[in-house]
Formats: sequence, C-alpha cells, structure tokens
Amino acid sequence: MAPLATASRTLVARTSSTLLRPAVSARAISTSPALRDASSTFENPFKGERKSEKVPDFSKYMARNPSSVNQVFSYFMVGAMGAISAAGAKSTIQEFLKNMSASADVLAMAKVEVDLSSIPEGKNVIIKWRGKPVFIRHRTAAEIEEANKVNIQSLRDPQADSDRVKKPEWLVMLGVCTHLGCVPIGEAGDFGGWFCPCHGSHYDISGRIRKGPAPLNLEIPAYDFPEENKLVIG
Amino acid sequence: MLARSCLRSTRAFAGARNGAINFSKRAASSSSGSAAEQSPLGLNIAAVASTAVAAGSIAWYYHLYGPTAHAMTPAEEGLHPTKYPWVHQEWFKTFDHQALRRGFQVYREVCASCHSLSRVPYRSLVGTIMTVDEAKALAEENEYDTEPNEQGEIEKRPGKLSDYLPAPYKNDEAARFANNGALPPDLSLIVKARHGGCDYIFSLLTGYPDEPPAGAQVGAGLNFNPYFPGTGIAMARVLYDGLVEYEDETPASTSQMAKDVVEFLNWAAEPEMDDRKRMGMKVLVVTSVLFALSVWVKRYKWSWLKTRKLVYDPPQASNTRH
Amino acid sequence: MAVPVRPIYDFLFRKNYSMLGVVFVSAFAFEMFYDTTMNKVWDNINRGRQWKDIRHKYAQEEE
Repeated sequence: MAPLATASRTLVARTSSTLLRPAVSARAISTSPALRDASSTFENPFKGERKSEKVPDFSKYMARNPSSVNQVFSYFMVGAMGAISAAGAKSTIQEFLKNMSASADVLAMAKVEVDLSSIPEGKNVIIKWRGKPVFIRHRTAAEIEEANKVNIQSLRDPQADSDRVKKPEWLVMLGVCTHLGCVPIGEAGDFGGWFCPCHGSHYDISGRIRKGPAPLNLEIPAYDFPEENKLVIG
Repeated sequence: MLARSCLRSTRAFAGARNGAINFSKRAASSSSGSAAEQSPLGLNIAAVASTAVAAGSIAWYYHLYGPTAHAMTPAEEGLHPTKYPWVHQEWFKTFDHQALRRGFQVYREVCASCHSLSRVPYRSLVGTIMTVDEAKALAEENEYDTEPNEQGEIEKRPGKLSDYLPAPYKNDEAARFANNGALPPDLSLIVKARHGGCDYIFSLLTGYPDEPPAGAQVGAGLNFNPYFPGTGIAMARVLYDGLVEYEDETPASTSQMAKDVVEFLNWAAEPEMDDRKRMGMKVLVVTSVLFALSVWVKRYKWSWLKTRKLVYDPPQASNTRH
Repeated sequence: MAVPVRPIYDFLFRKNYSMLGVVFVSAFAFEMFYDTTMNKVWDNINRGRQWKDIRHKYAQEEE
C-alpha cells in the first residue's frame, strides 16, 4: 500500500508546487488510469480497479502562468508581508521608546531664558535651572585679564579661561561646589571668585578650583546666546 | 409583572404535568426498575407539588428582590443631550483649528472669569491655536511666582510658555465663596468627564429656557436647565448672540459660540487627538493590507496539504498472501 | 509578461540572506514611502482644518 500513497502524495505535492514544468503538469492532470503507462512507476499490486484509486482532477488548481512568474510572485507576497510586518514592528517599538524620553512639560522647563541687559558689569546673578543654581557673572575687563593671566599648568584641574566661556564678559556656570555640592558664595575667597563655606574651597574669577578640597572646576552648563542680550541655558 | 409571572408558572405547570405523564408512560413501558410499580396518580401529585414549590419560591424571590428600585427621577438624571454630527469626532477628521481659535477666544472672554483651565500650558497653544509670538505675549500678560530668591522671598515674574493658564480664583474655597458655594469645575477635561461629552456641553450651554417650565421647582440662586442633572444649575446662561466679536468675522450667534467653545474644550481634553487619529488611520490601512497578505500566504503554505489525496485501499481477503 | 522574472528571482530571492536583506531594506523604504503618502492623504482629508492651513493668516501679521 505504501508505494501508492507515496506516489500519489508526491504527485500532488508536485502539482501544487510552482516549480512544476508544463510537461510534468500535463501528466498530473490525468487521472489514475493514465498513470499506468510505461513512464509511471506506479503499479497497483492488487487486482481490479476501484474508484478510490483515481487521482482527482486538479487541473482547476493548476497555475496558468509560467512557473518562474509564480515563483517570483509567491516570494514577493511572502516578502511583502515580512517587510510590512517589520516596518510595523519597527514603528511600534519606536513609539514605545519615545515614551521613555522626557515629556513635553519637562522639556519646556529644561530651558531658561535670561535677559542680560538687566545685569550690570561686575555683578553676579543667580538663577534656578533644573533645580540647581546657575551663576551668571558679567565680568569686567580687568577680571577677564586676571582670569587669562593664570598659569594653566599650575592648576589642579587645568582649563583655559577661553574654554570655559563663550563670550569672555559672560561667565555662566553651575553653582554647585564640586566637593560635596554646597552652593559657593560669590565675590569671596582668596582668588576674587567664589568661596565655598562648607569646606573652604576657593574658586577664581573663571570658576576654577584654586585652593581647598574640591577636585574640579565649577561645571559649565550648555548655554547659548540666540540674540544680543539674551541667554538661553539648556 | 406578578400576573405575568403567575401565567408563566401555570404554563410551566402544564408542561411539567405533560412531562410527568410522559415520564410515567415511559417508566411503565420499560420492564426494569421499581418506578413501574408506582401509580400514575402518585407521580402526578408529586409533580404538581414540586412544581408548586418551584413556582412559589420563584414568586417569593421576585417579591423580595424583583422590582427594580430607581434611585433617581428622570429630572434628577437630566435630559439626554441631542446627538450632534460633530465633524471633529469623525474617524479621520482633525479639529478645525480655526474653530479652536474662536473657541479659545470665547473661553478667554466668557468662561475664564469663573472656570479654570489649569492643565493647559501656553506652550500647547503654540502650533495649534496661536503663533509663538502671540502665545508669548499672552503668557506675559499674567504674573507667576518665582522660585524663592536668596532671602526666601517669592517674587512675581511675567509668564513664560512653560506656564499654565491662570485660574480665576486662588483656590477652591475662594471659588466657592465667590459663587454662592458652587464650585465652577475646571474645564481641562470636562469633555471627557461628563456623560455625553461634546453633546452634553453644547446642549447645556444652549439649553437654558427663557423661563422655567410650569411646575418646575428651581432653588434659590439656581437656574433651570433641563440638561443638567437635577435641572437646577448655579451657572446662569452666559452665551448670548453677539457676545464676543470674532476676529475672523464669523457671526457670533449663541450656537456658534457654544460649538466653538465645545470644540476647544474637546481639544483641551484631548490635545493629542489629531496625531492619534492620523496614526490610527495608518495602522488601520497597514493592518488590513497585512491581513489580506497573511490570508494569501496561509493559502499558499497550506496548498500542498489541501490539494493532496490519500488513498487507503484495504487488501481483500482473496488477495491476501499468507 | 515582459518582466524579466528570472533575474529578479536570482538576484533578490534565491539566497536566503539576499531575500532577508531585501525584506529589511524594503521595510525601511516602505515605511518612508508609506508615511509620506499617508500624511499627504491625511492633509487632503483635513484640508483647511489644520493649523498649518490657517497659520499664514496670523504669522504674517507679526512681521
């Protein structure tokens, strides 16, 4: 019995396959009596003929296009489904990841605008930005010169004054002592800059650490001057 | 209700009796079992009694728990608002931003004297209702508290885009005090927060009759509005023809203003709606294409199985070889 | 059919890795194309209703 089942299954499987050549397909259309020709390996070991042995007529399902066209079409359909699923999955994940970024109200608070025209020369202004104080100093020419005179190699955290400011007359930095996070006092200390009352760190007029326990210079936030007399921090 | 249930019970009764008869017949016809020995009369009595008990217990239960208790009268529910064909509520339609702009004008000139809109910041007006410069100018009209300065004093500063629209009252108590004890609700989410949404608010705003109908009881300081649950509302009619002057010269009829302000309030409650609907349209189109493709691919993958035929041909006795 | 079917098959689908690459590349291309097309359709459905359609009325007044 096995050969019959195998033969009919392979036959039908090949019928459905798009790889089938036209010559082969012509044979597949025929029913079981035609299988008994010389080329067929199928031979019923039992005598007599029964209805159940007749292979049904599958010609209705036969592909009308050449097999290669069908093949490309099938691959195209499968590939298109894959591509659209991939695009959908990508944008789904993208939307979920977007949820993790900062929300609009946080972003709106993340930038602070400062009107610089109200700050006279030689004055400090402290504003709050993201919960931290920001020191803005309108430096005088003498102070700028003093900041540039310092031998950088002698500093604990070597940094030139020009690396710390965008416009030399405006010094903008976070007012958080790099030692243990106190807020330094302006216009104080041995170097004419800032002095941290907690543990006695002295910063110079460029906010660089000169004396005391603090390891680093005062941090510079991201800021920009979009127009004259206007400062945007963040 | 009781009469109907009685009727039903007699019907059930009749059916039960028939069943009992059938059962007895069947029992009589079958040869085995002791049921055959019982007389049909005894079985009938048992069936009648059990049916009476069942019907009685149902009647008793219904008597206890059956009738629905309505806690509220129709007046307390309020009139159901008419369904209006809001264009912005269609599947693939955005808000009409010109209407939002008009609605915001109505809110500012009319509603804002009592109602806050505390969840809407100025920045969200930018790009939906106003330009950046207009929104900035609007924000600067109001003063906000600064963070404490070095002396710990809280100063005032002009508003920024990140600030929220100011409330007319300092707190709920002040609002109640100014309005005879009635609290004007915050309007940020009012469209989502009320049954009927846009329809309800539109009906409420335009539904004040000139005089309360005869027989309606209106409390002191209250106004009659059939759409408001309880019909007595502390808010008086506020929208009258020509109350505001629209900058785009739309005639400011009562219903026009109500429509605009309702659309604006819907925007305040769902500012993401435009993007959401656009995304929804994309998703619907792509998933329907994917569905069609997957149906095709399923048929393709199953075709070898669906088009095969298995033949089982049992050997006949004469053909078997031993 | 005038389409050169054989080269398409050989070039795009014959090797599994090339098919996979084609699928992923076309996924990106499809997404870009689809997004722009659907945004155009959306703007067409909602012509005159969105802010960008009425912005010019108010932005010009400022300048």
